[in-house]
Amino acid sequence: MTARRWALVLAPLVVSAISCVVLAATMPGASLVMRASLALVPLWVGLVVSAVVGVVLGLRARRERLRAEREAALAAVAAEAGERGRAIEHDAHRRFVARLDHELKNPLTAIRAAVAGLAAGVSSGGPLPEVEQARLLETIDGQSARIASLVADLRKVGELERAELEWEVVDSAQLVAEAVEDVVQASVGVGGGTRRVELALPRAPWPLPPVRGDVDLLHLALTNVIGNAIKYSAPESVVEVRGSEQGGWVAIEVADTGLGVPADELPIVFDELARSSRTRHLPGTGIGLSLVRIVVERHGGTVEIRSREGTGTAVTLRLPVDPR
Amino acid sequence: MTARVLLVDDEEAIRASLAPFLTRAGLEVHTASDGEEALAAVARLRPELVVCDVLMPNLDGRSVVRRLREAGDWTPVILLTQVGESYERSAALEEGADDYLNKPFDPAELLARIRAVLRRAVPGVPSLPAATVVASGELRLDRAARRVFVGDREVDLTPRASLLLDYLMTHPDELHTREHLLATLWGFGAVVASRAVDHRVAEIRRVLGDDAAAPRWIETVPAGGYRFCAPVGVVR
Repeated sequence: MTARRWALVLAPLVVSAISCVVLAATMPGASLVMRASLALVPLWVGLVVSAVVGVVLGLRARRERLRAEREAALAAVAAEAGERGRAIEHDAHRRFVARLDHELKNPLTAIRAAVAGLAAGVSSGGPLPEVEQARLLETIDGQSARIASLVADLRKVGELERAELEWEVVDSAQLVAEAVEDVVQASVGVGGGTRRVELALPRAPWPLPPVRGDVDLLHLALTNVIGNAIKYSAPESVVEVRGSEQGGWVAIEVADTGLGVPADELPIVFDELARSSRTRHLPGTGIGLSLVRIVVERHGGTVEIRSREGTGTAVTLRLPVDPR
Repeated sequence: MTARVLLVDDEEAIRASLAPFLTRAGLEVHTASDGEEALAAVARLRPELVVCDVLMPNLDGRSVVRRLREAGDWTPVILLTQVGESYERSAALEEGADDYLNKPFDPAELLARIRAVLRRAVPGVPSLPAATVVASGELRLDRAARRVFVGDREVDLTPRASLLLDYLMTHPDELHTREHLLATLWGFGAVVASRAVDHRVAEIRRVLGDDAAAPRWIETVPAGGYRFCAPVGVVR
């Protein structure tokens, strides 16, 4: 029973006890003699019992009605959310299949065409010129490698969704600094010269607080985002990486002045295989940002993108601060 | 001497394309199209190595390895695993395959693994990846229990470092690139995430008291990767 109910139950007893003390003090020895018709006593008793039962049953009925209403409301909300979730999932699935189809059909068409070319050479009796043959074989090799790398990327997504995380306290400042260093190292020689990445981490009032997570996966997510910034911006431009503490979160923002993402493609950049029609000429299968999303979400964090086509992009990763 | 290899896959296209490739690489190749056929072929041909797909009708690849090992047959097996099967999951099954390769693979990569397994194999003796306990000098690794000992002292490694040590110890004297280790042990490869491997190697060295400059166990190969440089034996 709640304290309120106990108070309701005990209130009459307290009032009568106080009355008893007051009466005993003010009118010592006084007595009250009541006379009632015996026939009316059962009627009074019946009335009192009926009233008590009526009130108790009434209260219970009201409580049940309220609970039923609350449950119905909750069920309606859940059903609506479930339906919306299913619709979103269905939508994402449909987009995924469409992109898979798109990513597979081009290399497969090229392979079949190359094989047909080789077969035609064989059936016509005369061997194909060596140069021609080498070119067709090169096509088959390159396009099958493209499909293989697509399958490998899809496997990475599957791995990351299920991989067991190795939780530890991660120094986020060190994590960001190492990711920047590794991407800059890897960019040496690609497109000539070292890329400039400016790293800004707070020192006052205190350094970036630690996060809890799997340091390898967080490193993978960060290098992906920083690598994208470098890949989609001009070689002479500067990429900025900023760390900050916001409430209970560590926010890491990676900003570039590169190609940018068209507004209509922003909602799907974190989907598997999402590739902008404008970046198809660049290597990659469009799996990177979905890996980032999976890693960040598995750490209880969020990832956001702000972008203007032709101006630049900023991707922000937010990870919960280690509570200890 | 040409090594006799049995290639087991239910997909005709795989057998028809891979067998000639391996033959041209100097191997004597025989094929089987499912697990039952493979067991019969192993008994009949006594191959030096079996390359076996996992997902097959009748008897799958894992059951083939289990049946062989139960019968005391230590013919090395390379399993061709399906999507989403990392070394960790495969190794956790403790079925005693000698190596794992994910489809789709580069045929040259398969050939490199075949050569490495053949080089390590001693006929009739359980290979390191099929052993429960392996040791190298003072270092002892209980693979089933995931426990590591240096002399009498038990040491503590993070799960991923112990998995890395397991892989390096059971594949000694082979150069493993960071990318290969990452893809095999972590299940994902990334161009710039190879630092993850360096971190774990540093952890193993620190915990085991191994010196990178004069390594007793794990050697850094400049611009290459890592190699377990000491002899490793099976502890019974």
